[in-house]
Amino acid sequence: MTKHDVAVVGIGQTKFRSKRRDVNIPEMIYEAVKMALDDAQLEPKEIDAIIIGNMDHFEGINFSELLCGIEAAPGYLKPVVKVATGGTTGSSLAICGYHNVASGIYDNVLVVGWEKLNEGGATTGIITAFDPVWERPSLAGALGPLALMAGMYSAKYGITAEQAAKVTVKNRSNAANNPFAHLQMPNITIDYVMSSQMIAYPLRLHDCCPQSEGACALIYANEQETKKITDNPAWFHAVETAHYYTFGTDDKMFDLPTATIASKKAYKKAGIKNPIKDLDVAEIYEPTSWSELSWTEGLGFCKPGEGGKLLDEGITQMSGELPVNPSGGVLSTNPIGATALVRVAEAAIQIMGRGEKRQVPDVEKALAMGFGGSLWTEIMILGKNPLR
Amino acid sequence: MADEIEKKVYRGRIKVPYKHTAGAYVEKFITEIGKNNKIYGVKCPKCNKVNVPPKMICIECFEKMEEWVEIGNQGIVKGFTVITHSTPVMPLEPPFAYGIIRLDGADTDFVHIIKESDPEKLKIGMKVKAVFKENPRKRILDIEYFEPI
Amino acid sequence: MSKNRKLKKDFFEIKWKTDLPYRYSIGKLAVKFFEELKANKKIMGSKCPKCEKVHFPPRAVCADCMVEMTIEDMVELPPKGTLEGFTVINYPFTDPSTGGIRPFPYGYALFKLDGADTYTMHFVNETDVNKMKIGQRVEAVFNEELIGDLTADIPYFRIIKEEN
Repeated sequence: MTKHDVAVVGIGQTKFRSKRRDVNIPEMIYEAVKMALDDAQLEPKEIDAIIIGNMDHFEGINFSELLCGIEAAPGYLKPVVKVATGGTTGSSLAICGYHNVASGIYDNVLVVGWEKLNEGGATTGIITAFDPVWERPSLAGALGPLALMAGMYSAKYGITAEQAAKVTVKNRSNAANNPFAHLQMPNITIDYVMSSQMIAYPLRLHDCCPQSEGACALIYANEQETKKITDNPAWFHAVETAHYYTFGTDDKMFDLPTATIASKKAYKKAGIKNPIKDLDVAEIYEPTSWSELSWTEGLGFCKPGEGGKLLDEGITQMSGELPVNPSGGVLSTNPIGATALVRVAEAAIQIMGRGEKRQVPDVEKALAMGFGGSLWTEIMILGKNPLR
Repeated sequence: MADEIEKKVYRGRIKVPYKHTAGAYVEKFITEIGKNNKIYGVKCPKCNKVNVPPKMICIECFEKMEEWVEIGNQGIVKGFTVITHSTPVMPLEPPFAYGIIRLDGADTDFVHIIKESDPEKLKIGMKVKAVFKENPRKRILDIEYFEPI
Repeated sequence: MSKNRKLKKDFFEIKWKTDLPYRYSIGKLAVKFFEELKANKKIMGSKCPKCEKVHFPPRAVCADCMVEMTIEDMVELPPKGTLEGFTVINYPFTDPSTGGIRPFPYGYALFKLDGADTYTMHFVNETDVNKMKIGQRVEAVFNEELIGDLTADIPYFRIIKEEN
């Protein structure tokens, strides 16, 4: 049991784009931070601590605390801590912020995730995150292992490229309802995806997430502070993290054990017995279209191998029983340091009923997932009311 | 001995090209230096401190700064050191001096190169003046160095 | 995608390239691995003394047991294995070790060496996905001269063509 309940009381996001040439790094992050502070109607001085995160090797500025914590966020003379865990950076930030408030150390915390990916390059940067002796020579960024995974997953369970393409169609047309999303494609078709260039068999260009630039900021508060700030917060019910082996290829990347273990623990904490029935919306981290099918199995939405069937039955569509990624997901927006945090932001938006065109009706419980690094998974479950 | 070390290490390199967006504030600052040999700062509307080099947000007040103020090309040295060792990433061949310079009219300090490599001739409190590059290249080194007056 | 060339000139960008040298300590087991590779054309993994899981690449600690593996725990692995996953990388990206674009397309695969319990990835010399299938047998191809570097000494694995 935690000492305090924690709620999301302020949300800020930039409009995610391929290149933000109009602003430099602190100016870009400031947009999201200001939006979150205005949303919570808090003065900058009222923030107790700041947790920031990005993957330094994408911008080549290896001490980004100075740019993000101090100039873009009100970190002057305050505690500022950086968290960087690859693709899960955003969700690690979300969880770290949660720990700091739930433990009673701080009354409120500002959590900021960002990335200005196109200043360096995603694939190049990702290669430097891996072992120089064993992995760097052959590794092709994140897409290489993801392509291997998709091929193995397809061979084991018979998942088809068409089923994978349906995921992209679902997510990028959902993104058309999200004013912040990078790739909004209301008229996208399966043909469009399946006729795009093959970049790493079986991944085609439109099976893969884009490289986006932008920032996301969330403000958390404990139960006393939340009462003063807003009457429409989103409460954390459970957070869980599970890490995996050293080398990215020590295991096969589908039938993800970290997703299964983390989600089982989180469901137990949050009182969820049947995810499809007990959850109202899920924001999961799908770096490729094939990944979403596999992760829905790992999260217990369906049995192993039935991810394709789940999609075909329409359960994860906006009109289905458990809509997955109404925001467009990672396939539509991917500023790596912020991506997993955007999942939490979007889950909170759904709980608060602020989703406008992308709002799922009657959301009481939402799931947000982060995935990345060496196959690790982070699960956050939010709800309309405090758990206890 | 060297062989022993070679066995135990893997020599790698990280060579990545970057393209950083500078933002409107830095662009104006560098352009004025190159085109008009003028140094500008921005003033915080709340605490009135003039920041050089300019940035969008005042760190202490967390306010957006929009008032541009022309700063003189001269200032006082608040601290200095003389670099005598060489590494591959130095902007100049050593020996050369770095100084923390408080330009006239600014409320923050500016770090730059001082063209005097004899530590005996450098003194805290001494006056220096900016010397601009003949052919500006849109870089901070368009102020080539500061020289003692 | 630079759709607007005019837009590029309007915004000020600072371009630079890092070129940083590193000397990574590779660890005792890797030192032994490369010694055996260079001198005896041997590939070695490390076996956990507790759970007996054979790790390739060899490493100092078994993650499942938190038990140390030393040079004595290293085992020889045959240069043959089974293809478990494959792809052909077909897009340009900057290789951070060289600063230039890595030549593509190239075959890249996941396989299990006979006797190893972890998957390994490396180059495979096939760029036609129709010629690769999960379950095929693969073997390491060694360079003539062995210098103690993974990619130089084993540039790729090749698919063993089955005799019909």
